[in-house]
Amino acid sequence: MRWRVWFDRLLVLLILLAAWQGGSLWLGNYWLSAPWSVATRFFAALFNGEMVFHAGYTISEALAGSVIGGVPAVLLPFLLRRQPIVVAILDPFMVGGYGAPKLAFAPLFILWFGIGIESKIALVAAVVFFIVYFSTLSGVRALEPKLVQMAQVIGASERQVGRHIVFPGAVPAIFAGFRIAVPYAIGGAVIAELISSNRGLGYLVQTGAMNFDTTQVFVAILAATIIVHAFIAVIDLGERFLLRWRPRGAVLIADHGT
Amino acid sequence: MSSAEITSELSESHAIPRQWIVTAGRIALAVALLAAWEWGARAFGPLFFAPPLATAQRIVEMAGNGKLLTDTIATLRVSVLGFVIGCACGVSLPFLLRLSPRAAEAIEPFIMASMGIPKYALTPWLILWFGIGDAPKAIVVTLFVFYIVFITVFAGVRGVDQRLINMARIVGASERTIARKVIWISLLPFFFTGLKVALPRAVSAAIVGEFLVAVEGIGFSIERARQLSDTTGVFAGIVVAVTLVLIINAVVNALERRAMRWRPTDRDMQI
Amino acid sequence: MAGTPMLEIKNLGKRFPARAGREPPPWIIQDMSFEVAAGELLTIVGPSGAGKSTLLNIIAQIETASAGEIVFDGEHIASPEQKALHPGLNRRIGYVTQDDNLLPWRTTIDNVLFPLEVQGTLDDAARARAQELIGAVGLAGFERYYPHELSGGMRKRAALIRTLVYDPPMILMDEPFAAVDAQTRTQLQEDLLRLWSLKRKTIIFVTHDITEAIALGDRALVLTQRPARIAAEHPIPIPRPRQVKDIFTMPGFAAIYAGIRADVQ
Repeated sequence: MRWRVWFDRLLVLLILLAAWQGGSLWLGNYWLSAPWSVATRFFAALFNGEMVFHAGYTISEALAGSVIGGVPAVLLPFLLRRQPIVVAILDPFMVGGYGAPKLAFAPLFILWFGIGIESKIALVAAVVFFIVYFSTLSGVRALEPKLVQMAQVIGASERQVGRHIVFPGAVPAIFAGFRIAVPYAIGGAVIAELISSNRGLGYLVQTGAMNFDTTQVFVAILAATIIVHAFIAVIDLGERFLLRWRPRGAVLIADHGT
Repeated sequence: MSSAEITSELSESHAIPRQWIVTAGRIALAVALLAAWEWGARAFGPLFFAPPLATAQRIVEMAGNGKLLTDTIATLRVSVLGFVIGCACGVSLPFLLRLSPRAAEAIEPFIMASMGIPKYALTPWLILWFGIGDAPKAIVVTLFVFYIVFITVFAGVRGVDQRLINMARIVGASERTIARKVIWISLLPFFFTGLKVALPRAVSAAIVGEFLVAVEGIGFSIERARQLSDTTGVFAGIVVAVTLVLIINAVVNALERRAMRWRPTDRDMQI
Repeated sequence: MAGTPMLEIKNLGKRFPARAGREPPPWIIQDMSFEVAAGELLTIVGPSGAGKSTLLNIIAQIETASAGEIVFDGEHIASPEQKALHPGLNRRIGYVTQDDNLLPWRTTIDNVLFPLEVQGTLDDAARARAQELIGAVGLAGFERYYPHELSGGMRKRAALIRTLVYDPPMILMDEPFAAVDAQTRTQLQEDLLRLWSLKRKTIIFVTHDITEAIALGDRALVLTQRPARIAAEHPIPIPRPRQVKDIFTMPGFAAIYAGIRADVQ
C-alpha cells in the first residue's frame, strides 16, 4: 500500500517538472525559467558563495527578529499569569496589534532605521511578537487548574509552580506559535528587502526581475522556500526533544465510529 | 473573550468592580500610547514621527479631497478580486480531493511544500508577466487566500463525523445532498476560521502589493509618501490601513457569530 | 411467529482484508445464520466488542460482508461478490445507532424532518406526521431546540422518531439506550414498545443488557465473544402488552434471564 502512495507522488512530481520544463521551452526562459536552469544556477550560487551571502543575510534578519520579538512574547504571558486584570487591559491592544497589518509598517521602519538590516529586524520582530504572544497566552490559559492545585497542596512556591507546571504545559503552544511565525518571519524579511535593500534574497528577486533574469528570481524564491521548511523542521525537532513525555500519535488514532 | 480566570480569585476582593478597573486601565493605556506618540514626535522631530494631531488632520484632508475613498476602493478592488478567486479555489479543491483519496494523498505534500513559498516575492516576476495593473497584486492576494482557506476547509472535510455521513446515507440522502447538507455545514466553523484569517490578510496583501507596484491605493500612498520623505503621509496611510483591516476583522467576527448560533459555545480565542 | 422471513442471514462472515505479506486478520463474525420474521422484534445479546455493531452495519449496508449472504424480503442484498453498497437499502432499512447522530446545527424538528427533506417527500402531511411523532414521545415544545440543548433521553427520542418518520419496514437498533440513566431508559423502552405496537415494524435490537433484551423481544439471540456466532436462541413467551418497569415480576422472567445469562458467558 505505502509504495503505491510514493509512486503516485513521484508521478505527480515528474508531471509537475515536465509541465514546467515544457512551459519554459514553449514560452522561453525569458518568461518562465526552466527547472533545469534553476537547479544548475541554484547549486552554482550555493558553491560560489553568492547564496550564502544573500541567504545568510535574510536568515540573520529572520533569526534576530524572531529572538527580539519572540522572547518578550513568551515571557509576557508568564509574568502576567497572576495579573488577570493587566491581561484584560492589554487584551484589546494585543488583539488590535495581532490583527493590524504589520507589513504595512515596512515603509515606516525603513524611514526610521534606514535600508540596512535594522529595519528588517524590526519588521520581523513586530510580526513574530503578536503571533507568539497569543499562542503562549493560550498555552498558559489552557493549563490544568488541578495540576496547579496539586502542586500548591504539596507546598510548591509560586515560582516553582511556574517553572514545573505552567511552563512545561505551555511548551507545545510556544512551539506552535513559532512554527506559525516562521513563514511570516522569512516572508517579512523578504518583503522588506523587496521594498528597499542592497542585499538578501528579496534583493536577488528584485534585481533578477529588473534584469529580466527569471532564473535568478526563481532561485531566490526556491532558497527562501527551503529556508522556511528548514526552520520548521528544526522547530519540530526541538519540540519532539522537549516533549518526549507526550504520547505521540495518540491523537491520530481517532474514533472512526461504528 | 477577555481575560483568564485560571488564577485564584482570592485577589478579587476589591470594592471597585473589576470591569471598571479594566476599562479605566484600557483608557489610561490608550492615552499613554497617544502621549508616547506625541512625545516621540517632539523628541525625534517631524521627519521621524508625525504628531498625532497632524496625522489626524492629514486623514481628514484625504477624506475631504476624495483621496481616502479612491485609495480605499483601489485597495479593496484588488483584495476582493483575489479573495473571491482564492476562496472559490480553496473551497472547491478539498471537495474535489474528497472524490479520490488516492489523488488527495499524492497531491497533498506538494500543496504543503508550496505553502512555504514567500508569495510576495512572486510579485516582481508577476509584474513581468502582467504589467503594473491589478493582476499581479490580485494573483498574490489569491495565493494568500487560497492557502488559508484550503488548509482550513481541507481539515474540516477530513474532520467531518463519518457517523453523520452514514446516517444521512441510510435515510436516503444522495452524495450531493450529503456534500451540501452535512459536510458543508459541519465544516462551516472551519470555513469561517479560514475566512476570518483570510479576509484581513487579503487586504494586507493588497496593501503590501501596492508598495511594490501600483498607481493608486493605500499601500501606494504610503510608499510614495516614504519616497518623498512625507512622514505625515506615511503615518496617515498606516493609520488608514490598520483601521481598514481592523474594521474588516470586526465585521467578519460579527458575521461568524451570527452564522454559528447552533454551536454550544464560542470556544474560539481571538487567534 | 408466522409468515415468511423478512430477513435471512446465511453463513455470514466478516473480517478485514489482509495486508500484503501479513497473516489474515481474525474473523469478527463467523458462520452466522438466523432469520427474522416480518413484524418480529428480535433482540440480540452479546458482550461488548462482540461484533454486534459490525453485524448491524453489514445489514444496513455500511460495511461489506466477507462471506455468506443476506436476503431481505426475498431479495439478495449482500454477498462477498457485491460491488457497491446501498446504505439503508433505499430507505427500506432504518438504523438507530448508539450515538444519536443528530445534526448539531439543526433543531429537533429539522432533524426529524431531515430524511424527508433529503428524500424529497417533505409536504404538509409529512410535517403533520412528524409533529404527531414528536408529541407521541413527549418532545412537544422542544421542536425549536438544538441538540446540545436537549437531555440525553430527548436526543434518543429525536433520533428514534427521525427513523420512524419515513416509515422503513425494518429498523436496526444498536444499543440505542445504552448511554442514558436507568429511569430514562425504562421510559424509552416503554415508548419504543408503544410505537412498535402501533406500527408493527420488523426490528432487530442489539443490546448487552439481558433485562432489556427480555423486556423488548419476541425472541433473543445470544452471541459469542469474537468471532461472533449464534450461541443460543431463547424465545420470550411473555405476553404483551408488557410493562417494562415490572418485567421482573412477570412469570417466566427469572427462568429466561438465567438461561440467557448462562449462555452469555
